[in-house]
Amino acid sequence: MQNRFLPYLLTLPSLFLAAVVIFWPVWDLIQISTHDVNRFGQLREFSGLANFASLAADPDFVAALWRTGVWTVLVVGGALLLSVPVAMILNTDFYGRGLARVIIMLPWAVSLTMTAVVWRWALSGESGMLNSALLGLGLIDHNIQWLASAETAFPMQVLIGILVTVPFTTTIFLGGLSSIPDDLYEAAALEGATPLQQFREITFPLLKPFINIAIVLNTIYVFNSFPIIWVMTQGGPANSTDILVTHLYKLAFRIGKLGEASAVSLVMFAILLVFTMIYVRLAMREQRA
Amino acid sequence: MSLAKWTVGLMAGMSMLAFAAQANAGEVRVTVAEYSAKTGPYFEEVKKEFEAKNPGITIKFEVVPWDVLLQKLTTDITAGTNADLSIIGTRWLIDFVQQGVAEPLDSYITPDFKGRFIDTFLSPSIMDGKTYGLPIAASARAMYYNKELFEKAGIAKPPATWTELQDDARKIKALGSGAFGFGLQGKEIETDVYYYYAMWSQGSEILNKDGTSGLGTPGALEAAKLYKSMIDEGLTEPGVTSNNREDVQNLFKQGKVGMMITAPFLSNQIKDEAPKLKYGVAAIPAGPTGARGTYGVTDSMIMFKNSKNKDEAWKLMDFLFTTEQRAKFTQGEGFLPVNKEEAKMDYYVNNADLAAFTALLPDARFAPVIPGWEEVAQITSDAMQKIYLGGDPEAGLKDAAAKANAVLKK
Repeated sequence: MQNRFLPYLLTLPSLFLAAVVIFWPVWDLIQISTHDVNRFGQLREFSGLANFASLAADPDFVAALWRTGVWTVLVVGGALLLSVPVAMILNTDFYGRGLARVIIMLPWAVSLTMTAVVWRWALSGESGMLNSALLGLGLIDHNIQWLASAETAFPMQVLIGILVTVPFTTTIFLGGLSSIPDDLYEAAALEGATPLQQFREITFPLLKPFINIAIVLNTIYVFNSFPIIWVMTQGGPANSTDILVTHLYKLAFRIGKLGEASAVSLVMFAILLVFTMIYVRLAMREQRA
Repeated sequence: MSLAKWTVGLMAGMSMLAFAAQANAGEVRVTVAEYSAKTGPYFEEVKKEFEAKNPGITIKFEVVPWDVLLQKLTTDITAGTNADLSIIGTRWLIDFVQQGVAEPLDSYITPDFKGRFIDTFLSPSIMDGKTYGLPIAASARAMYYNKELFEKAGIAKPPATWTELQDDARKIKALGSGAFGFGLQGKEIETDVYYYYAMWSQGSEILNKDGTSGLGTPGALEAAKLYKSMIDEGLTEPGVTSNNREDVQNLFKQGKVGMMITAPFLSNQIKDEAPKLKYGVAAIPAGPTGARGTYGVTDSMIMFKNSKNKDEAWKLMDFLFTTEQRAKFTQGEGFLPVNKEEAKMDYYVNNADLAAFTALLPDARFAPVIPGWEEVAQITSDAMQKIYLGGDPEAGLKDAAAKANAVLKK
């Protein structure tokens, strides 16, 4: 009898901590988002779903919601596509591999905000490094105003997002690759499998659980990622590069609508929760089959 | 595992206790905005001098960058961990007063103390006859122009009207040296203000007399069309919406911009960073009827209602607003004097740059004291960015006026 309760007992301390750091803030957010609230977070009367309704009616919120989807898919997808070959190269034995690994990991060691600040300078229209480099190479004949409009700013932000996501993803894949025994490749080579076949039949299937983890973790990080977009454009011009977190920040701390901001926060929480549950479900079913 | 977590929890609990114990008698905590690299060292000095003169009182300054000041205050107040005193933008004061966060200072202010201030700068901090804040920083805006570019382009004196400004910008563009005529700010803080300069000169105000938004007036449209035509004609720097105030100031320091409108602190920056730049400061150009306006800003020091050390906090305020302290702070940061005695000092009287700013003060408009002002400002900035990017001014302003009026009606 005692044995049946033991697992629950053992998870109790972590459950308690989870309650303190997750459930309590979420409960607080629910409170704020369903009340009329002043700019200092003091609750007034209960307002039901009024805050959510005004979000749904706000075209800026809807646009930010879609853009967050695009942003997350592009950054996570791009980082995955780039990280698989990078990890495979770094997994092979070559002279200077240690150095190459360090270089790939470096963006991870620099704070995201600092990276964004540096890129903001680099993309500056009149004195930016990128424009001088492109002019010097003769690729453009006049300065491009990278951050002046969403058409150029947002793709650059996605590229930077990919750049800073690659190190973490590569680390996961390197771990996965080193767990694949070498004899599999030797046997396959003996049977006459081409490198492409080896990748499709051995590397990719065995790497799949790691890809799944990378997708889930990166989606959560990227979906919530604030510094790149905030530092470079603050979601502007005219909210055209806003994603949900930057929209939320403006609502809460510029305009002082804490109720609506909490509602955005809950919507984000719900989206990530549903995504993670569905994805983990699908991935696990696939593995069992 | 769980033991480690308990240890962490325990330590967190203990540090909270330690934190609570810190708020002891005789300690005054002050949140101050970081205006420049000189702000932190100045308040360090204040701490030393004040504590030496007032044994038993310890001062703790928290220096916070401007951009995150409102966020910090919001979260501190929500959590009840706010300091005793804080610098705030005076335009936020109404929220602090309406929510009962700010303490009226009238019981501390003697007529003699009140007499220290220049009325123009003290009055924005007075609401319903009560003084809730003291102006710690005051600023206005005027036009900087590059004398060297003007000379090369054959322009004798700074433009008095926007039409002259356009002509001068054309002449600077025609030099073909790659310099831009007029620096137009199109990003981040005060993007809306940069538009008001043109709007005020067309006789329109931020708020109409009936309290509705001025964005729907013909003058507002004229102003938007003016800026848009200058962008289209290439009289401004390219990529207006990627340049915030500092970006345009940097272009000016590099001698790449003929004219721009900004605050007195640019003079200090030029002195430090581009001492060879030949520049002048002039009035903001007027519109066809001679109307003109500059933006006046004050930041206030307020006392929180829940402060437990109000008497000690007031002593510090009294110290901060002595002529000597005011002069040190104002001159370091490049603000305008708020103190009558201070304004008579040689530093201000013999300073041509500052004289241009003070001459504009009769035309100064302060941000309207209304709840929801930040939202109206945001709506205006967004509308301007759309227009600068090529949107139709008439439709953009109509839309913005409707949004602003919805906020103002609440």
